[in-house]
Amino acid sequence: MLARIAHELYWLGRNLARAEFTARAVEAVFQSELQGEPDAMPVISFGSGGLLAILGVLDDGEHSRSDALAQLTFDAQRPGSMLASVERAREGARTVRDVISAEMWEAINTTTLGLRGGQHPGWGAAAGPYLASQYVRERTALIWGVAGRSMLRDEAKCFLDAGGLVEVADMVLRMLRVALPTADGAPADGHALILLRAVGGFHAYLRAVTAPPNADPVARFLLFERAYPDSVAACVDSLHEAFVAADAGPRNSKPVLRVSRLAADLEFQRRALPDGAELCEICEHTQLELARIDQDVSERYFAGAAPLGAWL
Amino acid sequence: MRKRRGAEFRQASNAVGALGRKDLPVSIDTTVRAMERYRPDPRFVDEIFDADGEPRPVTRPLVETLIRLGREGMLDAGRRRDAIFMAQAITFETGGDGGVSHERPFPLDLVPRVLDGAEWQVVKRGLVQRIRALNHFVDDVYHGREIVREGLVPWELVASCSHFARAVHGIRPPGGVYTHVAGCDLVRDGDGTWRVLEDNVRIPSGISYVLENRAAMARLVPELFAAYRVRPIDHYPQLLLGALRAMAPSAQEEATVVVWTPGPANSAYFEHAFLARQMGVELVEASDLMVRDEVLYLRTTRGLERAHAVYRRLDDDFIDPLEFRPESLLGVPGLIRAYRAGNVAIANAPGTGVADDKAVYRFVPDMIRFYLGEQPILQNVPTYLLQDREVREHVLANLDRLVVKPTGESGGRGVLIGPNAEEAQLERMRTLIRAAPGRWIAQDLVELSTVPTVTPDGTLQPRHVDLRPFAVFGEQVDIVPGGLTRVALEEGSLIVNSSRGGGSKDTWVLADGEELERPGVPMADTRPPALPDLRYGEWTGQQQQQQQQRGSA
Repeated sequence: MLARIAHELYWLGRNLARAEFTARAVEAVFQSELQGEPDAMPVISFGSGGLLAILGVLDDGEHSRSDALAQLTFDAQRPGSMLASVERAREGARTVRDVISAEMWEAINTTTLGLRGGQHPGWGAAAGPYLASQYVRERTALIWGVAGRSMLRDEAKCFLDAGGLVEVADMVLRMLRVALPTADGAPADGHALILLRAVGGFHAYLRAVTAPPNADPVARFLLFERAYPDSVAACVDSLHEAFVAADAGPRNSKPVLRVSRLAADLEFQRRALPDGAELCEICEHTQLELARIDQDVSERYFAGAAPLGAWL
Repeated sequence: MRKRRGAEFRQASNAVGALGRKDLPVSIDTTVRAMERYRPDPRFVDEIFDADGEPRPVTRPLVETLIRLGREGMLDAGRRRDAIFMAQAITFETGGDGGVSHERPFPLDLVPRVLDGAEWQVVKRGLVQRIRALNHFVDDVYHGREIVREGLVPWELVASCSHFARAVHGIRPPGGVYTHVAGCDLVRDGDGTWRVLEDNVRIPSGISYVLENRAAMARLVPELFAAYRVRPIDHYPQLLLGALRAMAPSAQEEATVVVWTPGPANSAYFEHAFLARQMGVELVEASDLMVRDEVLYLRTTRGLERAHAVYRRLDDDFIDPLEFRPESLLGVPGLIRAYRAGNVAIANAPGTGVADDKAVYRFVPDMIRFYLGEQPILQNVPTYLLQDREVREHVLANLDRLVVKPTGESGGRGVLIGPNAEEAQLERMRTLIRAAPGRWIAQDLVELSTVPTVTPDGTLQPRHVDLRPFAVFGEQVDIVPGGLTRVALEEGSLIVNSSRGGGSKDTWVLADGEELERPGVPMADTRPPALPDLRYGEWTGQQQQQQQQRGSA
């Protein structure tokens, strides 16, 4: 397929996943910040400041809570906001309108128009960010659902999925890196329900893991649990599948090789790491590795989308 | 003749009634009364009503349904239409104040235009004839120039066309087809005859709206279709794909066809994406294409892949900076060399613009007689070329009764309609014509026919329309029944271009006459073969089956 189209689809996937995970995080933070900290047990602290850090918004420490949330929802000027992600997704979808189904384009378009207009009653009120997050979550689920049912399982779908998977893994890692206790032990280990809410794995965790949702088992779950589709390991696995399917010569393909090494690394760590081991470094390493994969993908598949000089 | 019709119409319109009352029992009587508010202008032909203000026999069921729907029904359908078009982003952008552009839903009017089968046959034959002649002309211009040597068309005129392309001299594409996609603008004149207003054989657009309009009409006002058998149009993308495949240089694997768009910023981008999607081919931009060793390639995720046929949706000027405008960033260097080498087919062929130049238009009837040895079926609008001093003086003196158009332009740009113009505008135009007579033509004013059109308050008013049928020239010329009916939404306006506030209508060609005598069993009469029962769990299915058997025994 055309390199430019593959590139657009990959970023469509990334932007959709980014909007969705921003929405989840905003929702979780919104809920938790309404309440104080429980006195019975320590908790992982994860507030709007942390959220802004995760989403790459420079925090000058002056934000009020509502400011921060508003920035992450309707502020189209902020590249990290849900609206900005959705707008970028729509722009991308517009240029690949011939590749995606009409149904899928309509789902993306109406999502953007709905969020842009902000015309839903209550979005301007205090609960606005919460309601908007819910809207974005539902709509992205719809878009992915339509994509799953209406798109051919071909290269195009592989690149769309790959973009989504890279973004999901990256978002999960970002959240872990901000929320996890570091080696110098600043925030203590504690209850990590908010982390699970922010990535949407609450229910799955309860069913898969018997340990209480403390930071360490939650982080292990989100990193290594292959059965949970949004865990880093599951994303990397699926990413591998997608690239193998899309690549003309997967045996000599740099992105494929790098992804399969990362998958093996994660599996090794899952089995070899002793309980209570330091996870922060693994998160950091994995995130850097994902960035390299992203780079390899651009070089191998999207080079044709680059300006003329780079291609020749 | 015209006066008498007006008098009759005024008599008929003395009856009283209102369109919009919902539960009127429908009879001929109430039809007339209910349409009292609808006043076709006696100076023009109305497509739905005859000169007496009565529905034409073929449109009577349509009028009756419109009355049943009423004002509220039409307004409601209009609101649903806007919501659907916004959701699917079937929009066009209008420049607002301060350079901010707004997306507006494409203005589809919900009253269709109806053409009966017999009339369409004539139009169709006329168009096929005309397009074949235009194709001959393009071939001739870049080869033997026989029509020039015969003295029928002056060579200075051809060579001075802004779309005459020296770069393609002597190139003959496979099958000798140049004008793969054509759209001629037709109008119905005051005396009821069809006339060709202009030919578009470069990159006519609008077919996507034809298809989307039909799909929207079927969703919004299915009741209107009830009494008719409208001929379908949705095979157009397959026709086009077939024509594009047919022209591709022979390939071992299946020919790769692409649609080439200037990009999402282009006003017709929706159509480009639509056609690519409907044909199942790639939509490419210049950055996706490159020529190496006189072969056109696509840049894909797997390296370079060959492209065999290009349906390009940008003007000659921009396609190859080596041959045409050197500053074009939208073009692909070397494309014309690849085309000359026969390694890639381009639709429409570069250089076809010479055939739809407004000055060349005047000679199309001569072309039909010269190349085909036939009499033209569709007439031109009387046209004056202004190089001749005598003609020019006549035109300048009568400018307030004529229409002046720039040659080599399209989309209604620069058109001056004499009767609607201020004296200052006319004077400015006179100066322009005197300065460069070759750049303008003058035409008689055509009294475009009208069709009832829904106004913002839900009532029907007559508005002027034209018709652009779309033809595909592959192994033969195919024309999709109907085409794009464009409508001037402002009262009295004769400008139908959507960039200038025009809307569109669904165009129905009725399946009647020979069309009805198609062989084969109608759909409803065929019976499916016996199918296995669906099973509902363990028992119910069997029980039902047993009961049925018992019942039938």
